[in-house]
Amino acid sequence: MADTMISEQVLAPIVENRAVAPDHVELIISSAVLSQAEPGQFAHILTPGMLRRPVSFSRIDQENGQVGLMFQIVGDGTRWLAERRHGEVLDILGPLGHGFAAPDPTKPWCLVGGGVGVPPLYAAAARYLHRSRPDVIIGARTADWVLMAQDFKDLGLDVTVATDDGTAGHAGTVMGPLETWLQDHPDGQVFACGPTPMLAAVSAACEGRATAYVALEQRMGCGIGACLACVVKAHGKEHAEYRRVCTEGPVFAAKELIW
Amino acid sequence: MVIDVSVSLPRGLTLKNPVIAASGTFGFGPEYSRYVDIGALGGVSVKGVSPEPWLGNPTPRVWETPLGLLNSIGLQNPGMDVFLQEDLPFLRDQNAVVIVNIIGHTVDEYAQVAARMNHEPGVAALEVNISCPNIKEGGMSFGQDPDQAYAVMKAVRQVTDLPVMVKLSPNVTYPGLIAQAVEAAGADMISAINTLVGLAIDIKHRRPALGGVTGGLSGPAIKPVALRVVYEVAQSVNIPIIGMGGIATATDVLEFLLAGAQAVMVGTVTFQYPKRMNEIIEALPQVLHEYGFASVRDAVGQALPGRAPIRGGGQ
Repeated sequence: MADTMISEQVLAPIVENRAVAPDHVELIISSAVLSQAEPGQFAHILTPGMLRRPVSFSRIDQENGQVGLMFQIVGDGTRWLAERRHGEVLDILGPLGHGFAAPDPTKPWCLVGGGVGVPPLYAAAARYLHRSRPDVIIGARTADWVLMAQDFKDLGLDVTVATDDGTAGHAGTVMGPLETWLQDHPDGQVFACGPTPMLAAVSAACEGRATAYVALEQRMGCGIGACLACVVKAHGKEHAEYRRVCTEGPVFAAKELIW
Repeated sequence: MVIDVSVSLPRGLTLKNPVIAASGTFGFGPEYSRYVDIGALGGVSVKGVSPEPWLGNPTPRVWETPLGLLNSIGLQNPGMDVFLQEDLPFLRDQNAVVIVNIIGHTVDEYAQVAARMNHEPGVAALEVNISCPNIKEGGMSFGQDPDQAYAVMKAVRQVTDLPVMVKLSPNVTYPGLIAQAVEAAGADMISAINTLVGLAIDIKHRRPALGGVTGGLSGPAIKPVALRVVYEVAQSVNIPIIGMGGIATATDVLEFLLAGAQAVMVGTVTFQYPKRMNEIIEALPQVLHEYGFASVRDAVGQALPGRAPIRGGGQ
């Protein structure tokens, strides 16, 4: 998989800057190298700060040599990134990390995304649609912040929405709809990405039932495995150990991890 | 224009140029080999190695600050046996000048790693890390007391013939005193500085941002502090200094040489620009020439007050 894939430092021009929700932007950039990415892998983007910003791919278009990078504006680095326009060039390391493996086509498949965790799941749905059709559960704080629902619908997929304030879909978190799905599909497989508490809840809900794979977010340094900043605690052979989100992840089998 | 950028250090340690990858930012090499020509570097100081594996600190482990980076990795490493079996061979194959950064909770643990590295093919030198601010026992506490610093260096000296540098902490009142203590204990060189202890606050969660609470500050923000320490230590001891702290360009390197360093280490900037060390090495001869120096050696210590530059070892 990703081990044998290319990863480089590329200078990639921005083709489009789209506002997708309040404080959420998607940059479409042109790069043949990055368009070789697996869903769940990420780009490590140079900003004026001391650290690059890791952003997972929202779209991977090998045919046209383009990728999408969707992110929330949370600080100076992402604000700077959100202000970049058509024609400007980004300095990116990537594609990096291990993404989502292809789903088992013999088992029901569900995607569970919270907030800005949705984009890599869309990339996974688009890539593996020919093997399996996932059910999609999207969570957000409020209706305006629901990401990529129409993109999933355009793939012909059913989308269940949950918002914390009840302004769209189910009132509450993704866990209500997920529980219903798990009762109907106890032998299923779940791909999830979102805030860590959500992923912990998804992992717990799937235990003993569905197989869960989670894409993690963590404060990252080098992004390539050298600095050991972005680690996560996992079950080792004998005792607990840290694994690198940037290298062994960002996608892990939920049962590997210590929540 | 022929500019000699080679560096001669004690016990026959020679570097083809003065730019060394700083410990902790470069892992054990393979991750960066895709971006960096490792063989072209002056040397590589590997991530700190302890006798047994260390797990490291809770996350978050890094936090960006203005012109700086605060880290609390906690010296996570696989231990010296795994390092020798699985990590050193790669660097040896790259023909890298490998400096093993050694760490311990006790004087004896430092000596254990030093003894294990002695006569190990491919290990060119040791860097005794008595200055990491991110571990509870040992680490920086050894580097904040001249007697303890002396004790660690003495124990290391007794078990190795390798060139040994001691990495100093800036988190002391007089770095020169610690430098003199380790010089007296047989240190061949000083490397300075390690990170400055700092704290970042995560407003959203109303708590310190790092899992380890405090962290070590690196990056351009600390360059003036690093230059001050190098300048001070250069006037306190007669052994060579490897300077570091916020170096991001070839002119930064020249500043450290002028302040009294004979070589430098480059760390944090590599996270932004993986190829930067190679770029600095390429640019350095031109920068030296521009400022009227025919060699790296010529520039060393030229900013020190009223004294000739400190001589290198190697004789």
